[in-house]
Amino acid sequence: MLRLEQVRVRFHDQIVLRDVKMDVPASRTTVLIGRNGAGKTTTLRAIMGVLPLENGRIWLDDVDLTGVRSHDRARFGVGYAPEDRRLIPDFSVEDNLLLPAIALRLAGEERRRRLDEIFNLLPEVAALRHRAGGVLSGGQGKMVALGRALMVGTRYVLLDEPFQGLAPALALSYADTLVRLRKSRPDLGLLITESTPRLLDKIVDNSLLIERGEISSLARKAA
Amino acid sequence: MSSAYIPLIVDGLADAALIFFVAVGLTLVFSVMRILNVAHGSFYALGAYISVVIGLWLTGRGGPVLGLAALVISPVLIAVLLGPLIELTLLRWTYGRPEALQILVTFGLFLILEDAQKLIFGVQPYSQDTPMQILGITRIGGIVYLNYQLILVLMAVLVAVGLRLMLKRTRIGKLIVTVVTDQELAQTLGIDSSRVFILAFSLGVFLAALGGALASPTVGVAPGLGSETIVLAFAVAAIGGLGQIEGAALAAILVGLTRSAAIYFAPEFQPVAPYLVMLAVLLVRPFGLFGSIGLRRI
Repeated sequence: MLRLEQVRVRFHDQIVLRDVKMDVPASRTTVLIGRNGAGKTTTLRAIMGVLPLENGRIWLDDVDLTGVRSHDRARFGVGYAPEDRRLIPDFSVEDNLLLPAIALRLAGEERRRRLDEIFNLLPEVAALRHRAGGVLSGGQGKMVALGRALMVGTRYVLLDEPFQGLAPALALSYADTLVRLRKSRPDLGLLITESTPRLLDKIVDNSLLIERGEISSLARKAA
Repeated sequence: MSSAYIPLIVDGLADAALIFFVAVGLTLVFSVMRILNVAHGSFYALGAYISVVIGLWLTGRGGPVLGLAALVISPVLIAVLLGPLIELTLLRWTYGRPEALQILVTFGLFLILEDAQKLIFGVQPYSQDTPMQILGITRIGGIVYLNYQLILVLMAVLVAVGLRLMLKRTRIGKLIVTVVTDQELAQTLGIDSSRVFILAFSLGVFLAALGGALASPTVGVAPGLGSETIVLAFAVAAIGGLGQIEGAALAAILVGLTRSAAIYFAPEFQPVAPYLVMLAVLLVRPFGLFGSIGLRRI
């Protein structure tokens, strides 16, 4: 269980998250719904430790992540794909995927295992492995960013607006990929932010609504 | 082109090599930490002083060949001792702050280092030309070359290629490139950016000190070397495009050749030659030869 307790974040003198309380269970898909500026991205960045908390705590099971530095959180198996894909343009797709593995000094066989798993789930990424990160299309880049998040995220994966900026056909195929991911990794805790959650109907377990930095309602899961 | 110009070109390239070491360090530190280090030239001066002192000491103990080793030992020593110390105690507090503050802090560091140098080494010039003498000369087609100059050029090429390969192929190189491109993303991937900062800064210190050490046999080492160097390094980094390794290399060659051409044809223009090149380049390309607005790539 990934748990946020009374998390308050201030950004440029403005409170962006107001004492947010949220549970993200393992083996479940949690969708955080909200308009632009509601605090969705801020919530994810706070979990990843790149924004300081003014108040509150973040727990991963019984580990208090609050004081754990950002780069050490990756070690706990929490992966993150930001909304803009942010690949390293000069690196090949494979090198982009392996960045977390070399940063965390994963052993060769573990590296291989995770890479194979990613290529199995994302065959279109496997086909692009020698391409440079800078020449990919938006849809391809999103897939690679998902793969990179999976390289880190052995326990949780956070996806920020995965469908944002994708053409409808690509958004559908991305949604299918998430369905396959859900099946192949039942243990994984998924937290996905969305402004239009319809595409996530097939996998969502909990929907949370965020408004002006407050998680204001807990909608029941859709079918 | 008549062969009479060859010595001019060799002089220019040797000059370019020395400028390149400093400028590429400055540019590297800028692209990783987004900080323009005014004290960078002081590491060059320090490299020159320390290598003269250690060089004389080693020559006294083991002969002039051992003295040569000082040219490499000194920059390593300076980088290992001062790099982490300055990054951890001083620069760390300035990241993400206004540029004026960063410049003031590094300018303060520059003043401290300059005075510390005068305190330790005095104001009399130091010199060691043994390294240049023992490496001898080469005579090709009636023209005499100093082997030391040829080695300088070779070393600069090695450093440029080595840096590029390190950034492309090695673990630490890839981590540096990632931090340059996107520091926040780098952290979420498990990259400890503060360690990358210490390493990159120390590497920058090493390159500047290496430039100073290798320059010491060719110049008198005296107060003012640091300030002279930093202004020149700024010009070269600006010509190349801040943060660009190949840009710094090309800019150093341009400036080196222009300076040596000025010495041959119009010596009174030698001091302003680099800035004329800078003026011409920035008029046409305001972000430098290899730079562009908002570029986050090394």
